[in-house]
Amino acid sequence: MDDLYLILSTVVFLGGFVLAVISLRTGEYGSGRVNIGIAVLGLIFQSLFLKERGAMHGRCPITNGAEVLVFISWSTIILYLALGRPFRLSLLGMFSIPMVFFFQLMAIFSLQVADPGPRPPDTLDPWLELHASMSLLAYGAFGLSCVAGVMYLVQDRQLKSHHTGKLFYSLPPIRYLTQALLRLLIIGTALLTIGIIAAFFMDQFPNALHLIVSGAVWLVYAVLLGIHLAKRLPPKQLSLSAICLFAFAVITLSAL
Amino acid sequence: MSIFCLGVNHKTAPVEIRERLAFAEKSIPEHLHAIREIDDVGEAVVLSTCNRVEIYGAADTPGDALDRLIDYLIDHFEVEKGEVEFYRHESEAAAMHLFEVASGLDSMVLGETEIFGQIKKAYATAQQSGSTSRRMNKLFQQSFSVGKLVRSSTRIQQGSTSVGAATVDLAEKIFGRLDGCRVMIIGAGEMSRVTAQSLQSRGASSIIVSNRSYDKAEELATELGGKAIHFDDWANYLDKVDIVISSTSAPHTVLKKEMVDSVMSDRRDHTLFLIDIAVPRDIDDDINEIDNVYLFNIDELQKIADDGKARRRRQIEICRDVIKEFLQEKGIEALADPPKGLGGKTKQEGRSPETSGPSGNALTNP
Repeated sequence: MDDLYLILSTVVFLGGFVLAVISLRTGEYGSGRVNIGIAVLGLIFQSLFLKERGAMHGRCPITNGAEVLVFISWSTIILYLALGRPFRLSLLGMFSIPMVFFFQLMAIFSLQVADPGPRPPDTLDPWLELHASMSLLAYGAFGLSCVAGVMYLVQDRQLKSHHTGKLFYSLPPIRYLTQALLRLLIIGTALLTIGIIAAFFMDQFPNALHLIVSGAVWLVYAVLLGIHLAKRLPPKQLSLSAICLFAFAVITLSAL
Repeated sequence: MSIFCLGVNHKTAPVEIRERLAFAEKSIPEHLHAIREIDDVGEAVVLSTCNRVEIYGAADTPGDALDRLIDYLIDHFEVEKGEVEFYRHESEAAAMHLFEVASGLDSMVLGETEIFGQIKKAYATAQQSGSTSRRMNKLFQQSFSVGKLVRSSTRIQQGSTSVGAATVDLAEKIFGRLDGCRVMIIGAGEMSRVTAQSLQSRGASSIIVSNRSYDKAEELATELGGKAIHFDDWANYLDKVDIVISSTSAPHTVLKKEMVDSVMSDRRDHTLFLIDIAVPRDIDDDINEIDNVYLFNIDELQKIADDGKARRRRQIEICRDVIKEFLQEKGIEALADPPKGLGGKTKQEGRSPETSGPSGNALTNP
């Protein structure tokens, strides 16, 4: 049943992805409600998948790469729904949904190739659960900051080239995108900090590689925020950094 | 009874004619009363704006009523017979016309919203004067629904249609809300004034005006509620503003790349929006290469306005389809006769209580 929920969720996001491609080709972006509807429906199936997997494992369902990818996708959608509307960034959904679709497609393939099955813990360690869930929520925030960065670069390009097509009018103001991006970086770094602190209280201390990778991801984001707060990075540099750092964070996931 | 519309607009009559036919706001209730005295005219609404003069009404024989209405206008306004070509619409065509007007499709600036408020005002005036009854009430209420529907379901309002509007749209795509945005004008010309006023209308504040002639700068600053500075000083304010409008008559560029480079190294994450409406250009074109600085010259702004107009024109047929669909779905309630037994409303019914008297409602349609 859990597989079905994941497939249904991915199909919903595939619909969103197709819609995004059509919108980009035709320049007709419709209302943000469609993206929100897709996000909500996909989120319901994602949540059902995670609930089933959680029940199967008897703990937070982040025991393998596929579940981790779905959890990051779930975090991304939750954060989009929480931040997208208040900051008038409904199009953030249109840009996030393709990323979520690809993450979940990878998760489906991964589960088809080898589903490790139930992995109940020997003893339930709440600090481990906190560490894992906070860290992956942080990845969701970083993912969304990457999406906001892409949107900023698109809008910046249109303003610089004086090309004001339909996408220009549909995208939010660049100041709002910069503000959202910065907030997402702060939220992500704060969540990752909590996740890393929680790791120090775990029954079983993480292995060296895990510690180095998590620490490296935290460090690069903390350094970026530090530089920005001290020197006020220009928005373009901040956007490019958010995109590059998220690519780095995703690559490091495979090492965990 | 059937509804009708008689009028002239910016497409059918020059301003010289429109201004002679324009109804003074205060005199509209009086005219409405007089129009309803015309034989057979049951209800009336006068819509008089700078771009149109239209009379909507209901009559048993609209063709005759329209002829008598034209005679009334010729008698009461300074126009000669044959000098003005009025358009006349009856029944569904009249409703369709009003719906298009309410949707901004008949406006000089396609899709503009001002007309919507003007129709509401015209209807309220007629209602207060007791000149509307069932047909006009239904017709105008439907026109408000259609106007909202067209604007929300199409892109008729999207895209700028003038240089001023393009500037404001760009500023809003950069800064979002313009509240608190600081503007500097270099060169106190007419275009600068209009552009600054457009930005002010959306919340931009703290306007600084600089001009070679300080008196002129002071004059414009007073008009805009801003501050005048000497022309030698404007460069010192570059790091304190968000938007610069430049329109000097200098034969060379006045804002160089080095100046903006130096300012931006201090401003860092503060965006600078530069509007160059001068010919020859005031602002070095290379400045657009600087991160976080956006430069638009007059040609680029004009192109945005032209594209916006073209985009709106492409929406006209889509809007008309929305209106037709509305008509197919809802029908024109104003055209339908009331159910038998309830009694139709008549000229008497549409009148205010003061004019209709207690027996007004007892009358029925013939």
